[in-house]
Amino acid sequence: MTVGVKVITKPKRTLAEQVYVPEIAKGLGQTMKRFFKNTLGPDEEKEIATVRYPEEKREYPARFRGIHRLTQRSDGSPRCVACLCCSTACPAQCIHIEPAEYEPEDPRYGYERFPARFVIDELRCIYCGYCVEACPCDAIRMDTGMHMPPSTERHHFMYEKETLLELPGRDGTYLTANPRHEPGDATHPGVDRLKGH
Amino acid sequence: MPSFQLNGQTVPFEQGDTIMRAAWRAGIEIPHYCWHPGLSIAANCRMCLVHVKSGRQMQMPIMRFDEKKGAYVPDTKPKLVPACQIEAQADMEVDSVGEEASKAQHAVQEFLLLNHPVDCPICDQAGECKLQDYWLEHQGDLKRKRTEPVHKPKGVRFGPTIVYDAERCIMCTRCIRVCDEVVGDPVLDMRERGNRNEIILAPGRELDHDYTLMTEHVCPVGALTSRDFRFKARVWFLKSVEGVCTGCATGCNTHVDYDSRYGKVYRLRPRDNMAVNKFWMCDDGMMTYTEAHEARVITATIGRGEDPEAVLPEEAIDDVALRLEQTEGAKIAFVFSALHSSEDNFALAKLAEAVGAEKKYLAARADWKGDDILRHTDHNPNRAGALAAAGGALEDLEDLLQDVMAGEVSAVVALGPTCAETAEQLAPLAKLETFITLSANEGVLTDVASIVVPVASWAESFGTFVNAKGMAQTFQRAIPAPAGVEPAWKTIAKIAEAIDSPLGFERVADVRTALGKSAPAPTSAPTSAAPAPAE
Repeated sequence: MTVGVKVITKPKRTLAEQVYVPEIAKGLGQTMKRFFKNTLGPDEEKEIATVRYPEEKREYPARFRGIHRLTQRSDGSPRCVACLCCSTACPAQCIHIEPAEYEPEDPRYGYERFPARFVIDELRCIYCGYCVEACPCDAIRMDTGMHMPPSTERHHFMYEKETLLELPGRDGTYLTANPRHEPGDATHPGVDRLKGH
Repeated sequence: MPSFQLNGQTVPFEQGDTIMRAAWRAGIEIPHYCWHPGLSIAANCRMCLVHVKSGRQMQMPIMRFDEKKGAYVPDTKPKLVPACQIEAQADMEVDSVGEEASKAQHAVQEFLLLNHPVDCPICDQAGECKLQDYWLEHQGDLKRKRTEPVHKPKGVRFGPTIVYDAERCIMCTRCIRVCDEVVGDPVLDMRERGNRNEIILAPGRELDHDYTLMTEHVCPVGALTSRDFRFKARVWFLKSVEGVCTGCATGCNTHVDYDSRYGKVYRLRPRDNMAVNKFWMCDDGMMTYTEAHEARVITATIGRGEDPEAVLPEEAIDDVALRLEQTEGAKIAFVFSALHSSEDNFALAKLAEAVGAEKKYLAARADWKGDDILRHTDHNPNRAGALAAAGGALEDLEDLLQDVMAGEVSAVVALGPTCAETAEQLAPLAKLETFITLSANEGVLTDVASIVVPVASWAESFGTFVNAKGMAQTFQRAIPAPAGVEPAWKTIAKIAEAIDSPLGFERVADVRTALGKSAPAPTSAPTSAAPAPAE
């Protein structure tokens, strides 16, 4: 087998290019033009790709997966029923939930189950969004549009239930776009044995 | 033995067997909800409908939807029979996977889920629910009903142990039959018909007999849930090993369900063993799993009273060895435990031999209320095993008290947490300068002890219990013991090593081999053989 040979012609350089200095001056001229345009020139003509973070912040895309929040029912209780589907789906095992039961005297007894504790280790989280997909109640969302505020303390990244419930969505609400009627709810449409069929 | 054909496979049966029972024995599953091998036949769930292809074929007139005509047209289909109720006959040809049977299974499954709330996220049965399994296997499509399902009472407390959810219930009546047939206390019944059907309690009663958790155990769906296990864990996180109940001398076989991430036992389930407990266990037995976590002895202590000194287990073992060497062998009493495994008791017997002790006693819990179903009056799991391992008759703790008063005993080495006597009765023992107790839990014997050495509980060690029938049954380790804590036989072996008479026990298999040589194994007949321990 013969080896294929491709002959490449050397680029020819003019004398002006070979003496180096005029070309350098030309290049620096371009740099200085951009420099003054982007610093002193009018705003609309600026061609600059960076922002002055953190004073200036860039808008995240609409489907950005930010820190988690727990959605609320209209009465402010968590929609989460502590089914542990999110922590089962979580590949980083960063979600810890302790389920508890409403007492029979509680008006929310019909919901039966709620998270007594719901902790997300945001440092361990890989922001894959599996927890949101796994949730059967639309109780956990990543639509806050925020990333983790930095801190030097490890425990600042352990987000408890109360914190997660207080985080609003991007639209500023705490509820969900998918309301549901559940037993125990005043709006529950069903009939039962006591109400008659 | 006669046989019949099930899906082209030859299945042998005994005279009087139903198709279902013969298939169950052969390890073939015909889908079912209401049938249970230990209960009578109800044949009300209709999930086990099969097509018997041999013999006279009965055809049923039906209306079938004709898509071309866009209307229902008269048609026929073969009549299917419930496999749980039809007696198997020689050379019968049964089909449980063919087109007709699958269609029926799909239809029954859809019917059962018609008014089901599908609240799997909050249901404890999720993960081990027959409705979920059979939906995946035999239905697999979405609900066609678009109207609001019928609602029924939820979270009804049936008694101290059981909560009932009527919406999830499929009315298989297994729980009713358990109460009627196994327990003999007909406290549950059913009322109304159709979609108003629900399980109710007998008027003025609560579900409070000794076997209430069996109603939850047989429930194929999440209608009955145990108040103890409710919302504690998700079953798909739980692992299981084979255990033996420590409640009484019956020695019911169990599955010990634990979460390896937290090293915690969450519940026991009965393990089928026709020679011992069949399919059942009593409530007290089911709750013995709490022994693995409640009132545990985790640190070694030296001294009595308000403020005993906490030391490392190794330091306690050295102290024990020192005291055993300082005391005259004949004056040391050894107290065996009917609550500990044969291995632990055997190691103690070997230690007694090594120090030259003659005085041996048995600590056992007092008798409790037995019954004709499972509960044995002997409240101890291993009295027979402790006696066999000690190699002869053991005296009572009453005798120990007398011997201590008479000054014949100046030091005691005791195994296990408790005994039939109360702390007041044992008060003279609390005056002994050397009373060593090896125990996993707090109890009377740890209260009177001057040195307490922690050992692993039954959930944290391999072992053998010999039940009242003389059957030696092995159990497996579920969870690791707390740091520094080891099984009693190993702790005893370390004490023996510290007094320069090693027993040569490194692994539990060594103890079992030596135990088998010294005392011939009792007639053992566990039907479900436990695999050899891996330790």
